[in-house]
Amino acid sequence: MGGPLVVALLAGTGLIGVMIALLARMKPRSISDVGVPDGVTRTTAVWRWGGVGAGVLVSGVAGGSGALGRGLMLAAPLFGLCVLAGVLVGEFSVRPPRGQTRQAVVEVRQVRDYLPRQLSRAVITAACALVALLLATTAAGSPDDLGRAGRGLFRRCSPTSTEGHGPWAGSFYSFPLGIVVLVGVVTAVLALRQIVRRPRPENPSGLIVSDDVLRRRAANAVTGACGVLVTIPLIGVSLVTAAGLLSITCRPVSWTVTGWILIALIAPWLVLLGWSAAAIFSPRYRTRAVQGVS
Amino acid sequence: MNPRPTLVVTADDPTPPYEQLRRQLVDLIRSRVIGPGDRLPPLRQLAGDLGLAVGTVARTYRELESAGLVHSKRGGGTRVVDDPPHLSTSERQRLLHQQAAIYVRHALLLGVDRQAAIEAIQQALAE
Repeated sequence: MGGPLVVALLAGTGLIGVMIALLARMKPRSISDVGVPDGVTRTTAVWRWGGVGAGVLVSGVAGGSGALGRGLMLAAPLFGLCVLAGVLVGEFSVRPPRGQTRQAVVEVRQVRDYLPRQLSRAVITAACALVALLLATTAAGSPDDLGRAGRGLFRRCSPTSTEGHGPWAGSFYSFPLGIVVLVGVVTAVLALRQIVRRPRPENPSGLIVSDDVLRRRAANAVTGACGVLVTIPLIGVSLVTAAGLLSITCRPVSWTVTGWILIALIAPWLVLLGWSAAAIFSPRYRTRAVQGVS
Repeated sequence: MNPRPTLVVTADDPTPPYEQLRRQLVDLIRSRVIGPGDRLPPLRQLAGDLGLAVGTVARTYRELESAGLVHSKRGGGTRVVDDPPHLSTSERQRLLHQQAAIYVRHALLLGVDRQAAIEAIQQALAE
């Protein structure tokens, strides 16, 4: 299912991310990092980058396994899932206060305070597009010549002839993809909830410090991981669907229009993919300075 | 922007944690540090920050609601009522003297002299 293309996309995403990460390292440390205990910064970063590393490994293994391109299709969502798991574990690693004297700031922390607004809106749009596309391709799919459900697209051209195309992103692909994306969304929700709920750290003097920059960084990584989790399958499914629709010679005009619209939308999805990769590999990107609590 | 107020719970204090929280929140609301209509931290967030059970914070909020200082709305959180009882000037003075007396007693127990106690307060005010 567009194998070489998906491999190229994964490699390209990694390359973009590494380049952005290198550029980010050239920038001076943000002033809003000052005061946050190094232990908290280090632990959350180690888990986040551990998730990225595990994601590269898992997606590499998945890409080389699975029947008829299923593994390759799941490689990118599994990468995103590992990053999300890394962020989630990192946030859980920040322990609540255990000393005799415990402090809390009177404040209301909400998920929307930490999410990158434009990127999260774009990712939600892409997720809606993926769901709509998968619902349509699943509904339109038919068994292929070997009887595998939802792996082919067929159209009756005349009472005596039928034209078909495969592979098609029907239930054979959409069900496992949908499950992995759903698990990813649930993990992202849990991670965002933990980003908001975990307690604020204290500095060596026992004063609570503002760690909003760390929370924004983690929320950026979560949003970026969701972007990768959704965008690469969206690009793959769009290409396969467009190829299927346009390959049928007796297609109606609506299929032609839909096919070309799907191809035209590849460009914005690629931009979103690069944007999401930047959010994962360089989560310092565009984090705002915040007022210290104390 | 002023630093946001903090709540402190001391585990070895004989006063139960819910009561420690209640007293501090009452003071903050009555002195208008937490203003009318302001939202209190969500139960789970505050419980997590202080390492307390959610039920402990919920009890504090129930007590505040019974006292007519806050109101809770499903989905809207717990907010300070529009016109909470105000701390009068004389009461504010009384509380200030009470806290000052507690501080002086602790300072004397530490064995510091008068000048050191005053300097510590001046330093704390400057921070």
